[in-house]
Amino acid sequence: MISSPDHPLLELRSIRLPGRTAPRLDDVSLQLRPGERVALVGPSGAGKSSLLAVANGLLRPEAGEVLWNGVAPARSRRRRRRQQALIGTLWQDLRLIEELTVQQNLNAARLARWGWPRALLNLMLPLETAANTAVLARVDLSADLLEQPVTALSGGQRQRLALARLLRQEPLLLLADEPLAHLDPRLARELLALLLAQASGRRALLLSLHRPDLLDGFDRVVALRQGRVVLDAAPTALAGPQLAALYRSEP
Amino acid sequence: MTAASAWSWRALRLAPPLLPLLPALVWLPVLLLLPGLSHGGGWDLIGQFAGAAFKPSLDPLVLSSAFTGLGVTVGIALLGWALSLVLGLVGGVLSSRTVWRTATGSALPAECIRRLLAVPRAVHELLWGLLLLQLLGLQPVVAVLAITIPYAALVARVVSDLLDALPTAGLEGLRLAGAPAGPALLTALGPALQPGVISYGGYRLECALRSATLLGVFGLGGLGTDLRLTLQSLQFRELWSGLWMLLLVMLVLEALLRVLRQRWGMPARFGLSRRSVGRGGREVVLGALLLLPLLVLVAVALGVNPLQLGQLQPLPAWTADWPAVAALPWPSLIGSTLALTLLAAALAVGSAPLLLLLMAPWPWGRALMQAIWALGRLWPPPLTALLLLFVLQPGVLTAALALGFHNLGILGRLLLEAEEAAPLQAEEALAAAGAGPRLALLYGRFSALARSYLAYGAYRADVILRETVVVGLVGAAGLGSLLLEALSSFAIDQLIALVAVYVVLTLMGEDLSDRLRRRLLAA
Repeated sequence: MISSPDHPLLELRSIRLPGRTAPRLDDVSLQLRPGERVALVGPSGAGKSSLLAVANGLLRPEAGEVLWNGVAPARSRRRRRRQQALIGTLWQDLRLIEELTVQQNLNAARLARWGWPRALLNLMLPLETAANTAVLARVDLSADLLEQPVTALSGGQRQRLALARLLRQEPLLLLADEPLAHLDPRLARELLALLLAQASGRRALLLSLHRPDLLDGFDRVVALRQGRVVLDAAPTALAGPQLAALYRSEP
Repeated sequence: MTAASAWSWRALRLAPPLLPLLPALVWLPVLLLLPGLSHGGGWDLIGQFAGAAFKPSLDPLVLSSAFTGLGVTVGIALLGWALSLVLGLVGGVLSSRTVWRTATGSALPAECIRRLLAVPRAVHELLWGLLLLQLLGLQPVVAVLAITIPYAALVARVVSDLLDALPTAGLEGLRLAGAPAGPALLTALGPALQPGVISYGGYRLECALRSATLLGVFGLGGLGTDLRLTLQSLQFRELWSGLWMLLLVMLVLEALLRVLRQRWGMPARFGLSRRSVGRGGREVVLGALLLLPLLVLVAVALGVNPLQLGQLQPLPAWTADWPAVAALPWPSLIGSTLALTLLAAALAVGSAPLLLLLMAPWPWGRALMQAIWALGRLWPPPLTALLLLFVLQPGVLTAALALGFHNLGILGRLLLEAEEAAPLQAEEALAAAGAGPRLALLYGRFSALARSYLAYGAYRADVILRETVVVGLVGAAGLGSLLLEALSSFAIDQLIALVAVYVVLTLMGEDLSDRLRRRLLAA
């Protein structure tokens, strides 16, 4: 998929995702254009994680359409993988591979583009050290960590590594599921700045978060409540009363 | 990239996900050697055998004979298993360091009993069966005992290991409060021991069914005998009638045990998460009570009579010619036995993850593979060896293929169970970033599985060493072949020497595999 300004990078049309009692997503529509930075807010259980899982293709909606750069998810496995390669997700639980080194984890982001020989070599030898050093530098991690096992990293370092892996994938669409949840305020601001800096030019960022005080850098805010979009506007629109209404407890 | 330093071979280090696949490299030399081993003919027989799977004989006579044989096999398995569990529990408690230390203050008796129990464990149940056959003649009790003796020693080891691994804080607390040793042990350690013992006990029942079939192949009664006779007389359709029945029984048993394991919250055999919360204590007791009358019924139906144990048969006259025994080509015998063990172990350990990886994108391929593994589990290795002899020459490689296939079935199922229990997140993340299903599985799930799988593989290699005797009948396959010959020609001096060598080898192998396992799990 080649980005063109005509198509949104991500388009969700009337998505419906069933849940155990109430639908997890109900008639959700959303557009994300190249260069856009959109924050997804809402109380716990509002459907933020579900929306992101639909956006990255992990969950298939019961009804509605997902379009990546104007194209529906491909049926052919090969083409689908090419589509997935351009969607990068920063997972809430990071999903690093604990048994591998930092370098191997970074290279794992390239598996969609690599054939078997390189994928196997990566499990034996240091590969593409220069590229990995570069992405580590972008998240302020030292290249000395490359051959360290992931288990040797601190919590903050792991968070940065997960972001570095996302950058190594070189996706167009960046999705992040509450990446700031377990970070101290300083670290949270740093990581957010890094993420926002990535979404420029052809790239776009959709990030879910809990903290309304961190919305300054975003172009738009989408608020979810009980699986429905209740607001899609500039961050300034989410002022005092709206915010209180969004987070007020269920009747 | 600083190419020179980055690519130097000194930097070569294998990451965990590759380790389980490493033994599969043995396929390269094996595939090169196989054409040379083939003796040309026999493919039509293999074809007939495979074809007969789809049209087993439905002749009522054949079916009823197979049914009777199956009953005998299942009965032998049940009795041998139940006896071994009871004896093994007693033996396990008696060889537990914690128990002796609590009761007498010294763990020395435990160490002694442990060493003693290593000997019955080192002799394969087939050897026990054939030895007892010489002593007692052909009686149902022979097969039952042949399973009971080594199994009891195995269960004893597992129980004592479980006991000694339990935390002793509760026990010490009770003792300090003045509780006598016995009740204190039972209260503090009994409940914690239950899940492990029941999970392992269930697994032993599956093993007992396989062992009983194998004993039948060597003439000790049951369906195994029918299987061998029909195979050797090329009555493949009749063979498959029995085989399908056996497969059905085994799959039902496995499914039943899986359900019970889940229901009672038992730990998986090698799991990543140790869910050792035992539940359903009342149901367990009820199950055991229901089992008792069933066992008595089976014993009566099979005509197993403990009194037969007293009626020893006179041994044929024999003279010991020790110089001749010493002159046997021991180094080559031992060498080929070890080669057979390593080859079979590498084939089994390496092929399971390799096949799982290859089949990852195709659910139907996975199902087919599982079916073939199930067949490998229950189909006794000597019969695979006989089948292979239709197309291959006898020898170590042929024997290794037969043993490897059987153990692949066992390891494969364990790997599948562990794979299904392993966390999915990393694999999901890789797939969402566009990695193919095979690479996502390799990176995402094998990483976490690798060490515990290999640790189990090390244990399995030790079992395979013991099992080499069962493929001895294809000839030229080390100690096992000679042992079977010595048994059938009453060369008792040779027999004694061969069993002794086997025991020593097995004990050394057990020690080695224990060390390897501990290193793998500690890393």
